[in-house]
Amino acid sequence: MFPSTMLLATDPLLSEPIGQVDLLLMSAKVLTAFAFLLVSVMLLIWFERKLISHMHQRIGPTIAGPWGILQTLADGIKLFFKEDLIPSNSDRFVFKLAPYLSLVPAFLIFTIIPFGGDFNHTSTQTDPAALGTVTWRDHATYLQIADPHVGILLFLAMSSIAVYGIMLAGWASGSKYPLLGSVRASAQMISYEAALGLSVASVVLMTGSISTHDMVAAQAGDGFAGILPNWNVLATGLVPFFVFAIAGTAELNRPPFDLVEAEQELVGGFHTEYSSIRFALFFLAEFMNTITMSAIIVTLFFGGPAGPVLIDSIIGSDIGWAWGVLWFFAKLFVFLFCFVWVRATLPRFRYDQLMNMGWKLLTPTALLWFLFLSAINIGDSQGWHRALVLAVSLPIMLLAVVLIKQAAINSSRTQEQEHTQQPLDNSP
Amino acid sequence: MIDLLAFARPPIDWHAAAPELTLLACGALLTLVDIVWLERAKAVSATLASFSLLAAMVPVVTLAVDGTDRAMFGGAYTVDDFSLVMKAVFLLTAYVVVLLSTDYIAKGDFWESEYYQMLLSAVLGMLVMTSARDLVTIFIALELLSIPAYLMATWHKVDLRSNEAGLKYYLMGVFASAVLLYGMSLLYGVSGSTMLSDINATISNSQAEGLLAVVVLGLIFVVVGFGFKVSAFPFHMWAPDAYEGAPTPVTAFLSVASKAAGFVALLSLVFVGFWDRSDVYQPLLWLLSAASMTGGNLMALRQTNAVRMLAYSGVAQAGYMLAPLAVAGESSATADDALSSVVTYLAIYAAMNLGAFAVIIAVARRTSSAEIDSYKGLFRYAPVLTVAMTVFLMALAGIPPFGGWFAKFEIVLALLSPGTAWGVVLGGVVGLNSVIALYYYARIASYMWVEAPPDNVQSSSPIKVPASVSAALILTGLVTLAFGIVPQWVGHFTDVSLL
Amino acid sequence: MMLPMMMVVWRLTPTDGSRLMVQIVFVVAAVMAVVGALGVIGSRNPVHAALFLLQTLFGVALLFLLQEAHFLAAVQFIVYAGAIAILFLFVIMLLGVDKTEDLEVEPIAHQRFLAPVLGVALASMLFSVFLVSSDILGGSPQFDSERTLDSGITDIERLGRVLFSDHAFAVEITAALLTIAVVGAVALTRSNKSKVKMTSDE
Repeated sequence: MFPSTMLLATDPLLSEPIGQVDLLLMSAKVLTAFAFLLVSVMLLIWFERKLISHMHQRIGPTIAGPWGILQTLADGIKLFFKEDLIPSNSDRFVFKLAPYLSLVPAFLIFTIIPFGGDFNHTSTQTDPAALGTVTWRDHATYLQIADPHVGILLFLAMSSIAVYGIMLAGWASGSKYPLLGSVRASAQMISYEAALGLSVASVVLMTGSISTHDMVAAQAGDGFAGILPNWNVLATGLVPFFVFAIAGTAELNRPPFDLVEAEQELVGGFHTEYSSIRFALFFLAEFMNTITMSAIIVTLFFGGPAGPVLIDSIIGSDIGWAWGVLWFFAKLFVFLFCFVWVRATLPRFRYDQLMNMGWKLLTPTALLWFLFLSAINIGDSQGWHRALVLAVSLPIMLLAVVLIKQAAINSSRTQEQEHTQQPLDNSP
Repeated sequence: MIDLLAFARPPIDWHAAAPELTLLACGALLTLVDIVWLERAKAVSATLASFSLLAAMVPVVTLAVDGTDRAMFGGAYTVDDFSLVMKAVFLLTAYVVVLLSTDYIAKGDFWESEYYQMLLSAVLGMLVMTSARDLVTIFIALELLSIPAYLMATWHKVDLRSNEAGLKYYLMGVFASAVLLYGMSLLYGVSGSTMLSDINATISNSQAEGLLAVVVLGLIFVVVGFGFKVSAFPFHMWAPDAYEGAPTPVTAFLSVASKAAGFVALLSLVFVGFWDRSDVYQPLLWLLSAASMTGGNLMALRQTNAVRMLAYSGVAQAGYMLAPLAVAGESSATADDALSSVVTYLAIYAAMNLGAFAVIIAVARRTSSAEIDSYKGLFRYAPVLTVAMTVFLMALAGIPPFGGWFAKFEIVLALLSPGTAWGVVLGGVVGLNSVIALYYYARIASYMWVEAPPDNVQSSSPIKVPASVSAALILTGLVTLAFGIVPQWVGHFTDVSLL
Repeated sequence: MMLPMMMVVWRLTPTDGSRLMVQIVFVVAAVMAVVGALGVIGSRNPVHAALFLLQTLFGVALLFLLQEAHFLAAVQFIVYAGAIAILFLFVIMLLGVDKTEDLEVEPIAHQRFLAPVLGVALASMLFSVFLVSSDILGGSPQFDSERTLDSGITDIERLGRVLFSDHAFAVEITAALLTIAVVGAVALTRSNKSKVKMTSDE
């Protein structure tokens, strides 16, 4: 076997000559994830409607199925049989392409999520690459569709592709409101990608790897003082998590960042002209993105499937990995709940507030914190005293904050003056 | 946690990098002052910029006194005589440009402190370029000096011609960058290294013979890419429009510093990177040089605008400076001659061209024009400026005792020293072109001295020249005269070697 | 320039029979890239041209993957597809040039005649160069041990080491380059100074 495969921490399944069993296992994983995403989107839409209703003192869907749980299915069937309208002013090919550009990245991001497995170092394996494996008929594999070398970068790459879906949908519709919506969307998503990427960088710095599997493995051990878990949310000092969560919400175009489809201003935003199954695809992609974003948050900051194994075997067979699945979905559910909760609580941002927050608050914060973490990291590896590192870096950070603040104040003042003085002189 | 100990930090010689670091720190300071003080920062930005340039000069001098060659990052960044001389030339050029800009930028409709930030970072790129000895550093330096230059060319935003200048310069510049990068990627592909010394070792050994075609292609693309930067014929198309439209101090900067930076890169590429492939680059540069001299001069004859004329004269001057490179590969003695002749020419060209632009800026305060006709009768109301302009024009033409003759003399000497037919012929082309060039330089001079002022120019009172422009005139005039009259005192500064 | 590069990549791609899959992926990626490049030139609608560019970028990213340059492939997606091509589209949409251009006007004289002639000349020159040299490209030159693909050092690690040792100066100076580009771009896009007299008192 190549030594590289161990170092790269690729799925052990793929490091041997690939046989039929391996193919079967891979197909099973892919199908499971695919089915899980589709079903969970259905449930999530119902969950969101029901939860928001209760927060609003309403009842929500009740008719289809027990507690209205089949409501989404009914809606989906209805959408499927509606007439598929393509505006005459549209760019037909791009118009049809756009929904898939939204949907496919949403699926692909999920491939890098480890959603199960026993990551505890106390198990028989100590090699980090062997953590979290599940063995079936001597074929060890991760509970994760793929562990590509680029790891978390795949997430960033896919979220940049997802912008195209929205942007092209708006443009191809050949109509004003969708175009406005899509221009807003692309500006918003590009702006927040900076903050998103920088907070991911903090996690990468702490892990020393960009593989999602390695990230989870690094978060598995005993944490601080033996009580708190060794999760990145604490190890990176909370700030990257909050930046990521806010930027992630903006990246999803979910409330309070849903300016893309602000009904009062833009009718339906980028998907105004879409109907029938194509509209359903956008809807699907949006909720699927919510699920994958929660899963990414869990993986990056909350240890993924890492958690205690309470009973490690039933009737002689090892079920340690199943606890991982349980912990993963428990954590995932918490974040899905939070997304709905935020939607029910916060009013929508104004566009300038959105941009100010992205560029003047989140991005500098994430960058400063990243530099701070690097300083500490270098200090530790060089054996400098921690207090000395803090004593130097904190005042510098403070200075940077003051300067950025000053620049922001100045710029808003000049902006005001520009607006008041605009009509003075229009001659060239 | 990353195992940082496994990675050894490359040793850094802070003294060697001090000029760049000083400039970088001062540029950052300028930006911060601008952010915090806003309007009040305008008053100090020019002063701050000029002091930054002088401050960066200090480590250059201490390094020169120290005199040892220093190399960092595996030889990617080298400080030697050549780089120090060129650093000094760039810093002084930029200082003169700041002097020329101070009044022009403050009075005109410009963003002021941003302008000086652009200027400083372009100079920073040039300083890096002088020390860069690998492809990546050369390319980054090229972009660092080009991007602010594109922006500065379009700094006069309300003027459509300035917009045109910036856009043309930018489009041709990025096109040249693309060609250059393609050539660099081929060279890297052949040699497996970006270090110029490694490239030279690989492309000259016998194993690479099968790849000769790729090497030739790479070399051609790299030379063509820098041909745009130094505005050599036929890659000069952007220059006249960009020079005419850009604010005049920026034009002075582009025509001197930007061109010199292209030459610096070309010199280190030819002498370090391609040295043993003289069979490839010599004919190429020979053609480029002869075409630039002849083409530039012939087109300069037809110009009616002084700035456009200087642009085409700059094309011709680039041809003179390319000439020694066309024979440089004959022997290492020839190479030393060629290198020092080009460096001498660059230094003298900087002084005389900046001087000419200083006069143009001063005269344009009265005539608001750079048309050659508007120089008629200048002697009647601005005798000092007329004398200065004559000095710079005669220096550009190569008439003794003004600096230009020494520069041309060195070039011709370097061309003749190997004694090859190609060198002699090119020397003849240089001589012929000097005669052609004399015509259009002398035409302006005769307009100034002999003709009567045109009616639309108010010629009863002398032109008020701002103190900073006067200082620039004195500085450039002194350098021009020093090189012309006592070349033995100053010539040894530019006597450098890269091999 | 696409085609000669494809030839080189084809030469460097392992071609023994057991890796049929690699060859299939290569052909797909190469066709994607070349067709995309032709589409950029050929399409009259700027948005379509941008989409073809995207296709080329994807094709090239796939080729990077085949060369086991995983990081470059990811960066190709994130930077080129995710930022640069998006900005193209953004500008096209904001400026409203989403209609076919007027092709009657010829801005530079004889452009329509010269462009194909020079293009074909350049392409044939590149082709001949690569044909002449392609015999030797199969046997790659001596690489040092760190550069071989199965040395156990990931491409990211290798890239990081090179960037922060030999090219450390270039990397650091790039910070200045980007900063100054932002400052200049903002200064140019701001409305003109004469209309905005800025004061910082009170």
